[in-house]
Amino acid sequence: MASLTPQQKQALMAELAGLKRFGLSLTGNPADADDLLQLTVERLLDRGMPEDAHPAKWAYRVCRNLWIDEIRAREVRSRHQQAEQASDTLQHISPGGEDSAQLEQVAKAMANLAEEQRAALTLVAVEGCSYAEAAEILDVPIGTIMSRVARARQALADSLGWDRDKL
Amino acid sequence: MAERPINNPDDIQLLSLYIDGELDAVAIDRLETRLEREPQLRAQLDTLQKNDALLCQLYKSGPATRIPAKATVALSSTDNVVVFPARRKARLPFAIAATVVMGIAAVLVQQNLMTGAGRAPGMDQGLADALETLPSRADGWDTLADGSQLRAVLTFPAADGRWCREFMLANDEKHWRGVACRDNDTWVTQVMGSEVFLEQQTHYRTAGAEDDLAVARFIDNTAADVALGPAQEQQLIDAGWQAP
Repeated sequence: MASLTPQQKQALMAELAGLKRFGLSLTGNPADADDLLQLTVERLLDRGMPEDAHPAKWAYRVCRNLWIDEIRAREVRSRHQQAEQASDTLQHISPGGEDSAQLEQVAKAMANLAEEQRAALTLVAVEGCSYAEAAEILDVPIGTIMSRVARARQALADSLGWDRDKL
Repeated sequence: MAERPINNPDDIQLLSLYIDGELDAVAIDRLETRLEREPQLRAQLDTLQKNDALLCQLYKSGPATRIPAKATVALSSTDNVVVFPARRKARLPFAIAATVVMGIAAVLVQQNLMTGAGRAPGMDQGLADALETLPSRADGWDTLADGSQLRAVLTFPAADGRWCREFMLANDEKHWRGVACRDNDTWVTQVMGSEVFLEQQTHYRTAGAEDDLAVARFIDNTAADVALGPAQEQQLIDAGWQAP
């Protein structure tokens, strides 16, 4: 399993945008998300994947595991050092345009979510994963995905405002 | 019938399952009946769906959609050779191709490595004694007998059971950053890279990003646990580096 087949590469190529969004949901930072995506691709090219693996799911799991490694590394390194300040956060991914103010609010609300809620919501609501698929990628029970997604949606709505006229 | 609380978490979860297509047919029928009768519940559903749409818009347009060209190029190549030059400076300390890191680490591990900034200092008795006895510090420096300035940065356990310390060393206007591990009562340099310090005493940047990354990568690959807190570290120093 030391290399990727052309079919696996093609499948991964089609999944890059989704992996980038997933990385963004984990890191909360576009620049870190780029690095995480890059490292994920490197790792996949370097180590390959089983022939019978689902390329997208495998890649998401590699991405997640690399992020866990990174969190651990940061924890080790930050004990006696000043934490590096992220200069460009999730709040800065708003694409602009006429909805930009509203999207900025959404970005800010997402940035305030717990990382695990953000990742679960992104996989389900943006990437269209089933709860079972998200559970497999994040290596948690389906029930955990269910509650994380619901809590994330509630937190977003609390932050952005419910439609009070109708409530 | 008692009025249901606004934004009942159970309802939010039910609506969430509905939006995601995770309810069975019976539950869907039951919920849709409620949605017809309960405008508040319908409004909640509308809000959640509207937010989902905004979320998709946010993540599927603008900066969130930009894919680093290097990732695309790598996957487009006909072989599996990883060539990722000029990565962003160490925001992700691990962010470097494993093959490149291994190459750099293999060279840096030699204690007398020549780099662009000069010959890296080897492990001498003064440095070893300092690592043996001085606590880690977030800023400031300890002066060694030969005039070198040392800052022990952190102490962590390695997976092989040794204790390791990251440190910064300055002498003759040259600056170094490295990791040494305690092996058979002796401190042995594992990796060392050159540093250039900024004006502020507590901030620094690397002269060679690869060196910095190699040190970071070494810690990432070697550490078995998080770094020790000050009290734990002092206890260990006092105990002659014998774990209780």
